[in-house]
Amino acid sequence: MQRDDAGLTPIPPSPSHDPPAAGALLALRGVTKRFGGATALDGVDFELMPGEIHGLLGENGAGKSTLMKILSGFQAPDEGEMTLRGEQVRFSSPAEAKARGIGMVYQELSTIGALSVAENVFLGDQPTTRGGIINWKRMNAAADAQLRELGVQVDVTSRLSALPLGLQQMVEIARVVFSGADVVILDEPTSALSVRESERLFTSMRELRARGTSLIFISHFLEDVLAVADRVTILKNARKVATLPAAGLTKQRLIEMMIGRDASTLAASYQEGVTLPPPVEAPPVLEIEGLSIPGAVRDASLTVRAGEIVGLFGFLGSGMTEIARALFGQLQPHAGVIRLDGRPVQIHSSTQAKRLGIAYLSENRRATLFPRQEIYKNMTLAHLDRLVPPLFRKRSELGIAEQMVKRTGVRPPNPHLLAGYLSGGNQQKVVLGRWLTRQPKLLILNEPTRGMDVGAKREVLDLIKGLKAEGVAVLLLSAEPETVMTEADRILVMSKGRVTKEFAGERVSKDLLMAHA
Amino acid sequence: MAKDMPQGVGAGAAGTATARPRASGWARILGWAGQRARLIAPLVTLLGLVVFFSLTTDSFFTTRNLWNGILSQYAVVAVAAAGTTFVLLCAEIDLSIAAVSLLIGVLSAYFWITPVFGIDFGTWGVLIGLIAAALIGYANGFFAAYIRIPSFMMTLAMSTIALGLAVWVTQGKPIFKVPGLLRTLGGTGSKIGPVPVPVIVAAVVLLVADIVLSYTKFGRYVYMTGGNREAAEMSGVNTRRVVALCLMISGLTAGMAGMLNVGKLNGANPQPSNELLIFTIASVVLGGTSLFGGEGGIKNTLIGVLIFGCLRNGLNQVEGISIYIKQAVEGFFLVGALLLNVVALRLERIRTQAE
Repeated sequence: MQRDDAGLTPIPPSPSHDPPAAGALLALRGVTKRFGGATALDGVDFELMPGEIHGLLGENGAGKSTLMKILSGFQAPDEGEMTLRGEQVRFSSPAEAKARGIGMVYQELSTIGALSVAENVFLGDQPTTRGGIINWKRMNAAADAQLRELGVQVDVTSRLSALPLGLQQMVEIARVVFSGADVVILDEPTSALSVRESERLFTSMRELRARGTSLIFISHFLEDVLAVADRVTILKNARKVATLPAAGLTKQRLIEMMIGRDASTLAASYQEGVTLPPPVEAPPVLEIEGLSIPGAVRDASLTVRAGEIVGLFGFLGSGMTEIARALFGQLQPHAGVIRLDGRPVQIHSSTQAKRLGIAYLSENRRATLFPRQEIYKNMTLAHLDRLVPPLFRKRSELGIAEQMVKRTGVRPPNPHLLAGYLSGGNQQKVVLGRWLTRQPKLLILNEPTRGMDVGAKREVLDLIKGLKAEGVAVLLLSAEPETVMTEADRILVMSKGRVTKEFAGERVSKDLLMAHA
Repeated sequence: MAKDMPQGVGAGAAGTATARPRASGWARILGWAGQRARLIAPLVTLLGLVVFFSLTTDSFFTTRNLWNGILSQYAVVAVAAAGTTFVLLCAEIDLSIAAVSLLIGVLSAYFWITPVFGIDFGTWGVLIGLIAAALIGYANGFFAAYIRIPSFMMTLAMSTIALGLAVWVTQGKPIFKVPGLLRTLGGTGSKIGPVPVPVIVAAVVLLVADIVLSYTKFGRYVYMTGGNREAAEMSGVNTRRVVALCLMISGLTAGMAGMLNVGKLNGANPQPSNELLIFTIASVVLGGTSLFGGEGGIKNTLIGVLIFGCLRNGLNQVEGISIYIKQAVEGFFLVGALLLNVVALRLERIRTQAE
């Protein structure tokens, strides 16, 4: 949404850029990147000093990931320049960036669980004897020494997958650092870590800083950034808001800068906040009490009533998705009760969940769409057993699909088209339509409008509102504050596996939501 | 059969598509064919082979050869291939086809001549054979789908088990007495009018399989499970059950093929041979069914079996090819046919993307 706006606003003459500060290890000057009509980065300056931990903040779509991709060589900027150790550079591939000492640690680790810790530290670069055989002794000793330097003590011969996630991450960081990187970019490293694991990560980050390595720390967790960063850069709507020393900054101040006080943006109304409607008075359809899923959710409780949209707001690793998956029989909770219409249920499979009247729209489109099958087959699948006679002709099924194509507004409205050739937004409508061929009791939507253009977003949200009016209980999961704020009757905020705050019948604003996430 | 049952990629898309600039006649025909590349490409191969062998030999295109040399000979393969199609469509594999067919063939003959537990089963042994075949297939399916042993390994192991059991039951000796029912169903000499009975059996099996795949929910679940297992699971399809049942069907048809074979040879010999396995999987894939699941069908399999049958039968009749090189030539032809399938599908994909 924000990015779309940025694409429409005329770009003012680029501000005069300061000369690079003396001694900057890595500097960007006036970097601009456009994708089609949308501007993802607009004349951004960025500076990284040697031995610095630099936090990079911004909302979804503010340009963080584009900046990161430019730094790590995945994308080339359209305008602007990049200097590394005072020398102008232009990376044409991630390999080139890596060769120049810029390493990335992704949210999704690229280590290999089945190999030992030491093998992972030296992945692709194992020390060998003269005969070309891996020198295990030397490798294990070196891996152990290097991890110790980061303050990590583990048995380097153990399988990586046996370690907790936090340690696995340390192994990946060690690999990146010891393959020669002196700039390490960490993308959301703490999202899946416990508080203690995060602390350990910060200790290692400080350790690295002391060795002269520079780190860029991208995160949604503002406390984490404030805890460890020396300076922070805030991006908003593709532009840099400021670079400030972290000392003396507060979370509140950061949120203000990330959201901005710019009245011209569409998001303006949300900054003032919206008032949630009075609570829905209807019998609860879904009640969750004390739900715990190992490693993901701790003691979460929530209720969704008939004709109510409950918004769940949280970032990756908050545990929202795991709750949804547990409701759809994909994860087995460790503890807690799930009640549907007042009756406790144990949901073991998606088939059972479907029979109970639960519909789930996953955030992962690859896991929902059949790209090589026609739209009509995609749409009738979920309730095929109730829609068509035992021996069906295509016609009986086509009628249902055609209706649903109309209702969801799929374009082009041709049910014979292969679903893979639709745009992302229309694919989402197809998957949503699949669940509407029979009225669900509980509809769980995980990021239903992510990546959609404004028009398609509106259509999908209107459809959801229509269902609410018909008495469907809707659980709406999103990491975009706007989505839950505009649509939900009540909003629950989740952070690191816990429900941290519930908003009902009161004013809620973006910064309030983010303060609890 | 192939024409009037719409199914597969993009069937009928032209009918409701949004207005497109008018294309010339040829372009329209090419476009129509392009959308059905998965069926048209093997059909072209088949026609090519028929024309080629008709021109190069005198004996290929004769009623006698078509009925007895090809259709009757490859009826057994067609029956096994019908079940294998289910397995490949849901992106699994069954390597136990040959061994299961051998075991079931042997069992049905064994029940015919030997009372088991004091009961003389007689022709009912055929029914027991079919039940055993389904059970073996379901065991494959259960371990592959629920226990998650890869079907490749599970069916390979089952292949060894079935072979061992066949040898054990017969103590390694061939059985020369065969139930009359099997001689009627599988024997090359048994005919209704000009039509050999095994061909009728194969036609019935293929027809039933086609109806199940094209017109039942289970059939649709098979395609969707193969097309995207995770998405099928997330749509509430019990994908494990679908996979288990597909392997069960494959076991059942392998057993039927084994019985037909016993009837055809008028004896059951526990001699291990993987010919049926290779013939069956080659036929299904030649017909255009994807090894990666979700695309293809029984119509493809029918064409595939015919391609395979014509190729082997035809090559035998071409004069001037040394008997020692024939197998290699057959292999080259197979590669050529597979190449045509791949190229045609690539063209189709490019076309649909351009639209």
